[in-house]
Amino acid sequence: MRPEVRDRLARMHPDERALLRPLVETTRTFYIFAAILGVVVLWGLFAYYQQMRYGLGRTGMNRPAYWGIYIISFVFFIGISHAGTLISAILRVCKAEWRRSITRSAELITVLVIGFGAIQPVFDLGRPDRLLNIFFHAHLTSPLLWDVLSIGLYFMSCTIYLYVPLLPDLALIRDSGIKAPWLYRILAGGYQDTPKQRAVLERVIGALSVAVIPIAISVHTIIGWIFAMTLRPMWHSTIFGPYFVMGAIYSGIAAILVAMVVLRRVYRLEQYFKDIHFDYLGQMLLLFSLLWLYFTFAEYLTAFYGAEPAVMRTFWAKVSGPFAVPFWAMVAGCFVIPFGLMARKATRTPGGTLVAGIAVVIGMWLERYNIVVPTSVNPRWELESIGHYLPSWVELSILAASFAGFILLYMVATKFVPIVSIWEIKEGREHSAQEVSRRVSEYLPDTPVLTTVGDSK
Amino acid sequence: MPATGEGNGKPGLTRREFVWTMGAAAAAYGLQDLPDENGIFWSPEPKVELGWAPGLEEFRTSTCLICPSRCGIRGRLVDGRLVRVVGNQLHPLSRGGVCPRGIAGLQMVYHPERISGPMVAEGARGGGNWRGVSRDEALTLLTERLRASRTVAGPESLALVAGYCAGSMQALWHQFLRSYGSPNYVADDYADGTDCVMGLMHGIRRRPAYDLEQASLVLSFGAPLFESWWSPLQAYVAFGGSDEDGGQRPRFIQVDARFSRTAARTQEWVGVKPGTHSVLALGIAYVLIRNDLHDADFLSRHVAGFEDAVDGAGATTEGYRSLVLRNYRTEEVSAVTGVPVERITALARAFGSSPAPVAVCGADVTQAPNGLQAGMAVHSLNLLLGRVNRPGGVIFGKDPPLAPLASPVLDDAARAGLTSQPVAGPGPAFGTGDVASRFARAVAAGDGRVENLLLYYADPLASSVHPEAWRAALARIPFVVSFSPYLDETTRHADLVLPDLVSFERWQDAPSPASYPYPVWGVAQPLVEPQVDGIATGDAVLAVASRLGGSVAQSLAYPSFEELLKERAKGLFEIRRGMLFASEFEGRHHRQMEERGWWLREHDEFEEFWEDLVDRGGWTDLFHDFTDPAGIAQTPDGLIDLMPEELTRALVANGLDRTPYIGLTGDDAVPPADFPLRLMPYRVSTLASGTLSLERWLAEVPGLFPETLWYPWVEVHPDTVRTLGLEEDTMVWISSSRGRMRARLKVFPGTAPGNVCVPYRLQHPDGELANPLQLLDGPTDPLTGLAPWFTTFVRLDQVGAVD
Amino acid sequence: MVIDLDRCTGCAACEVACKSENNLATVSPEQAEMGRAMSWMKVISEVEGEFPNSTLQFFPRPCMHCDNPPCVKVCPVSATYLGEDGIVGQIYARCIGCRYCANACPYTVKYFNWYGPEWSESELQHLNPDVSVRPKGVIEKCTFCHHRLQKAKEDARAEGRELREEDFQPACAEICPTRAIIFGDLDDPTHRVATLKDDPRSMRLMEELGTEPKVYYLRSRA
Ligand SMILES: Nc1nc2c(c(=O)[nH]1)N[C@H]1C(S)=C(S)[C@@H](COP(=O)(O)OP(=O)(O)OC[C@H]3O[C@@H](n4cnc5c(=O)[nH]c(N)nc54)[C@H](O)[C@@H]3O)O[C@H]1N2
Ligand SMILES: Nc1nc2c(c(=O)[nH]1)N[C@H]1C(S)=C(S)[C@@H](COP(=O)(O)OP(=O)(O)OC[C@H]3O[C@@H](n4cnc5c(=O)[nH]c(N)nc54)[C@H](O)[C@@H]3O)O[C@H]1N2
Ligand code: SF4
Ligand code: SF4
Ligand code: SF4
Ligand code: SF4
Ligand code: SF4
Ligand SMILES: [Mo]
Repeated sequence: MRPEVRDRLARMHPDERALLRPLVETTRTFYIFAAILGVVVLWGLFAYYQQMRYGLGRTGMNRPAYWGIYIISFVFFIGISHAGTLISAILRVCKAEWRRSITRSAELITVLVIGFGAIQPVFDLGRPDRLLNIFFHAHLTSPLLWDVLSIGLYFMSCTIYLYVPLLPDLALIRDSGIKAPWLYRILAGGYQDTPKQRAVLERVIGALSVAVIPIAISVHTIIGWIFAMTLRPMWHSTIFGPYFVMGAIYSGIAAILVAMVVLRRVYRLEQYFKDIHFDYLGQMLLLFSLLWLYFTFAEYLTAFYGAEPAVMRTFWAKVSGPFAVPFWAMVAGCFVIPFGLMARKATRTPGGTLVAGIAVVIGMWLERYNIVVPTSVNPRWELESIGHYLPSWVELSILAASFAGFILLYMVATKFVPIVSIWEIKEGREHSAQEVSRRVSEYLPDTPVLTTVGDSK
Repeated sequence: MPATGEGNGKPGLTRREFVWTMGAAAAAYGLQDLPDENGIFWSPEPKVELGWAPGLEEFRTSTCLICPSRCGIRGRLVDGRLVRVVGNQLHPLSRGGVCPRGIAGLQMVYHPERISGPMVAEGARGGGNWRGVSRDEALTLLTERLRASRTVAGPESLALVAGYCAGSMQALWHQFLRSYGSPNYVADDYADGTDCVMGLMHGIRRRPAYDLEQASLVLSFGAPLFESWWSPLQAYVAFGGSDEDGGQRPRFIQVDARFSRTAARTQEWVGVKPGTHSVLALGIAYVLIRNDLHDADFLSRHVAGFEDAVDGAGATTEGYRSLVLRNYRTEEVSAVTGVPVERITALARAFGSSPAPVAVCGADVTQAPNGLQAGMAVHSLNLLLGRVNRPGGVIFGKDPPLAPLASPVLDDAARAGLTSQPVAGPGPAFGTGDVASRFARAVAAGDGRVENLLLYYADPLASSVHPEAWRAALARIPFVVSFSPYLDETTRHADLVLPDLVSFERWQDAPSPASYPYPVWGVAQPLVEPQVDGIATGDAVLAVASRLGGSVAQSLAYPSFEELLKERAKGLFEIRRGMLFASEFEGRHHRQMEERGWWLREHDEFEEFWEDLVDRGGWTDLFHDFTDPAGIAQTPDGLIDLMPEELTRALVANGLDRTPYIGLTGDDAVPPADFPLRLMPYRVSTLASGTLSLERWLAEVPGLFPETLWYPWVEVHPDTVRTLGLEEDTMVWISSSRGRMRARLKVFPGTAPGNVCVPYRLQHPDGELANPLQLLDGPTDPLTGLAPWFTTFVRLDQVGAVD
Repeated sequence: MVIDLDRCTGCAACEVACKSENNLATVSPEQAEMGRAMSWMKVISEVEGEFPNSTLQFFPRPCMHCDNPPCVKVCPVSATYLGEDGIVGQIYARCIGCRYCANACPYTVKYFNWYGPEWSESELQHLNPDVSVRPKGVIEKCTFCHHRLQKAKEDARAEGRELREEDFQPACAEICPTRAIIFGDLDDPTHRVATLKDDPRSMRLMEELGTEPKVYYLRSRA
């Protein structure tokens, strides 16, 4: 760190000092990690090059296993993306004050992961060169088209929703001059953080947080519908829309928790990500683990009761057949582990939530696997032979590269924007304590006028 | 961009599209120089460089020569390329149908592994070094060699092994060998023993024809009618029946030891224990006789040996009736065959009461240690019901009345050569047996001095039951010539290869298979220009003959094989019966006319006749004279013999001391401890003998059930798989006392426990041979000399576990 | 199309005829093992029971050309469409290769070009110039030999007459040795299929899905 930067930093507010430090101070470990992730990404690019040049034959997909890892990852990543926006928007709308230090990291996840989610179906295309046909020859009855539109909208609104609340912090950095002034001059625009601007800003954020919720819900509903709109056994189900949304939020919360534990450790943010945050988010995780169980149970029970032969073939393939291992691993990851850990206050600690979060992330990936693959390989017509699917090295490489790329981008992003919203923290310190007490007092009945007992006569 | 501005661009092209196109073109241009021909660009379009525009279309009639069925086909040509094989609706046998092999025959023409022209082995034979030579050089080489050997070693030093040879090609080879002076025509062809049965019983040494189309019930004993029979198309057409729904279709019942595709698709399958077909047949005979369902009138007028006979000395010989009634009681038959008693009775009743039933005898009945008698047992059912020379019954077909070849001119050398003993030596008591294997063994043992061996449509190293005998024989023959268009296993060991043109490129005639009741003479004409520098073997033989000069040239004075065919067709032109191929309706009409003794001349000029004949595909005569007694039997007494004395004598002579029809107790061989499973080789419909094994379309559909692609496989019952501890879809070794082959294990509940069914499949994709016939180790039927294909026991081992 | 299961011998001539007529690319043995072989017409077999009581049914299975085709609804670019003549077609040049239609088809009749077709120099010679060759990355399936319909229509127009039943026969129906495949216009009462589809033996695959297949099967009489 250059001395003048250190000086400037030293002169700043303690919140600012703590939260801006990562922007100007980078450790060797960071570079090592970044290099490793970079190599994985390059390897993934090479794998994709192979696939592009020779065809999708380089994957393990076949007939009837037409979809594989890419579609699984697609659903998974877009699911994770519900982390941010939805959580932070809901918390903002509900005026949950404890949100202040966690919204930023969540919103960042969202924006960065959407890209990785949205690119997965492109990896999956036989003819990526004809991608634009989706617009030239748009066919409105296709859920895939709805999906392209809703993801596009979602991506845009999330980006705005990330950017607008960033403005005061960007202006702060610009004004402090601790980093690449030219960049922040562009990024922060003319924002000066005048009270008037601040008021407009808050109104915009309020509106955005309301708007983003239905968009986010639509996105994953439609992804669910992509499956549900076919006649394939165990895809063709009305529960898929809400089920996917619920699952998305669930995996999103899990992803935030994991990110928070890591950030807290590497950037020493114990003061911002407090145990109470983990406790609260842990409770949400608990709630969603129960919701997950409920939805899953409802899905399988309806399938089981219908007992359609075609459906039952897939059903048993999952429950006790060749897919039993991923199925029960999913149950463990999505319910048993998180429920077990989150049900007790003693384990709703950063450590406990980390374990639960990882379990849920893996469990939710497996859930998508269990949706895509078993149905794919069990065609509806019983005389059609049962397929098999093993992902190839190309698919696994691209999967690894997608994870690596996301983590890498997230790491890099923490070097450019404060991972905790500085102005919101400050605002919290300055105004919300009073605001909250005012609000609480508004909830309460007005103080009754004292009367003496005898008066009632 | 046109100079007049954007508004004047091509009407259909918007500005956006234009920019798009330009961009794409620029990108394509930028990328085209990249080193890899696959293109780095997202999606290189398929390289189709044929000037992809609809071209000039033309259809040409011909005949499929891929199997004995000889179906009528038409080739669709576009700009001279043969792009499709379709059926010839006018062909009386196939009626527009073609089997998968016929369609895929297209890929034989354009096969990447065709030999590109005549070639001579360089260095050690079989070493794989070849030198290309011109056709002329090759013919000269062969002529000189034959000329020299004829004087030095004698004409009998020449031998021909002809696998796939009928009609005029066969006549041509016979004429060539005769006039050269060699008695060594070695037929490596489709002997199945039924001709011996007919010879013995009817005095007609000819494979029987079955009038399936007019039959009401077809009871097939192991004949794989829908797979590899003499004419699967004949069976298909009969099975399909007429187009009008509700029209008469014969009922098919299949007696088979294997759940074959035929067994699966006929209306009824009777699963029997291997080798017990004939016992079941006699069990049915028992019920027929017991219930008076037999045709007593026919038996008394046309059949000998049914009743007991009393000779001059007063000794009685039991006749067929007594033998059957005494030995084939239903319960016993049921125990031997594994078919329930009620089923046998029901079968017999169905057969006996059907208006026009026929019993078909398959090769798996006759290719057994007691095959000849087994064949007689099955055929006796036809006799019991008088189903000979009747519509819908057994018929002895006739050859088309072609003009014969000019009679051969023999010089002294030829006459001397022809008196020498054929190398293959004497055959078995009946029929010719496996001449090719006898020949190979004799040569290997040093009998005779074969200097020159010609291979025509034969690949014994790959297909023979005795490849080791062939390997030894080839080592002893100084000069081997192959006419094969492909570098097959035996051709690799040739000195000279004169590649034949494949069947869609050459002239040939195609008499119908023996199983078809009416004479048919199909003509195969070239559908495409030769794709390689080959020479049709017929023309090659004529060219060599003319170069040899002398008696050989005089005997074969035809300018080309096409001319030879034309000469022979004059016989048809002059015969005043039959007709050129015509629609079903016209055919019926024609038959009715001939029944009344009329015949309409269609052509006045032979040239017109010939042109029309080639155009329509051939000649046929759909009239059969059911009143001719010679169509029933040609024995000295004019009677069909159920108990031929000749057979009894041969049985005694072979030390077999068996009475006809007795001893058919089935194959009760106990499997040896180390080879617990019975091997059942069979032929899949898509892959015939070796010829087609390399075609890609067929490699994708050989096994419909169990479904499998490309690799040779073995079908095993699930219980057997379980007890052996094997796993489905893994490679296993199938070993017999003679050798082993590799195949993929397929679990198939239609296979009887204890049996393993292995299709003939020449090769694995990597070229490794996989021929179950080369595992056979059972005893040969001494009467017919045929190798028994179904008496070998094997063992299965996981590949890898035993290497 | 009507397929008479009582006549079908499972010979697979239809399968190979279709490959030949429609330039289906063959794949290597390894690819075939992976389930990537293509066969617009596929003879599927159902075996039941054990020796000696096994029974079997063959189902030659082309595209059903559904009247209510689930595959068409889901295609994002209308690369698969229901044509006026009732044929469900494919536009190879437009398909983006998402394989959504393949998943939506309950009859699994769609085939994907995992790799580009590989024709040896010699195989190129026997390609049918009436049918376009599919590049890698697109979906393909039975087209009811649509190119033949177009040609038949042109010929009929040139001769100034109506299209007749025998003018347009797909390759599989034309070659079937037992004439188990009967083809015609289901809506034209003079065509045989129009009466056969009401035969008591008639049925359609997974009719309960409401896809309205235009391929009828006549049950085996057994
Ligand atoms: N399409 C076609 N047809 C052909 C030919 C061809 O190449 N292609 N070739 C011709 C030739 S060369 C010949 S020789 C004929 C022969 O033709 P086929 O007589 O048809 O001979 P395979 O096809 O070997 O059929 C033998 C049958 O015996 C059954 N079998 C197998 N093992 C046993 C056993 O242990 N016991 C009993 N009882 N049965 C058993 C099998 O199930 C099989 O159905 O076909 C001719 N027809
Ligand atoms: N693997 C296997 N072995 C078998 C059989 C089997 O089906 N499979 N069948 C057995 C039986 S029953 C028999 S009869 C024998 C038959 O066996 P072979 O007599 O050997 O007959 P194929 O194998 O049909 O053909 C022999 C060779 O003829 C060549 N050939 C192909 N087309 C032409 C052509 O147009 N002209 C010329 N001149 N040559 C051509 C091919 O190169 C082929 O390799 O095999 C027996 N062995
Ligand atoms: S049955 Fe034989 S002759 Fe007829 S098409 Fe098939 S291979 Fe050719
Ligand atoms: S061609 Fe005809 S008989 Fe052969 S499998 Fe196809 S439908 Fe069945
Ligand atoms: S069978 Fe499948 S591909 Fe064909 S129209 Fe119906 S849904 Fe579409
Ligand atoms: S694979 Fe092609 S035809 Fe099928 S849905 Fe996608 S774009 Fe449409
Ligand atoms: S109708 Fe044409 S495209 Fe469809 S299966 Fe038959 S031959 Fe193939
Ligand atoms: Mo044979």
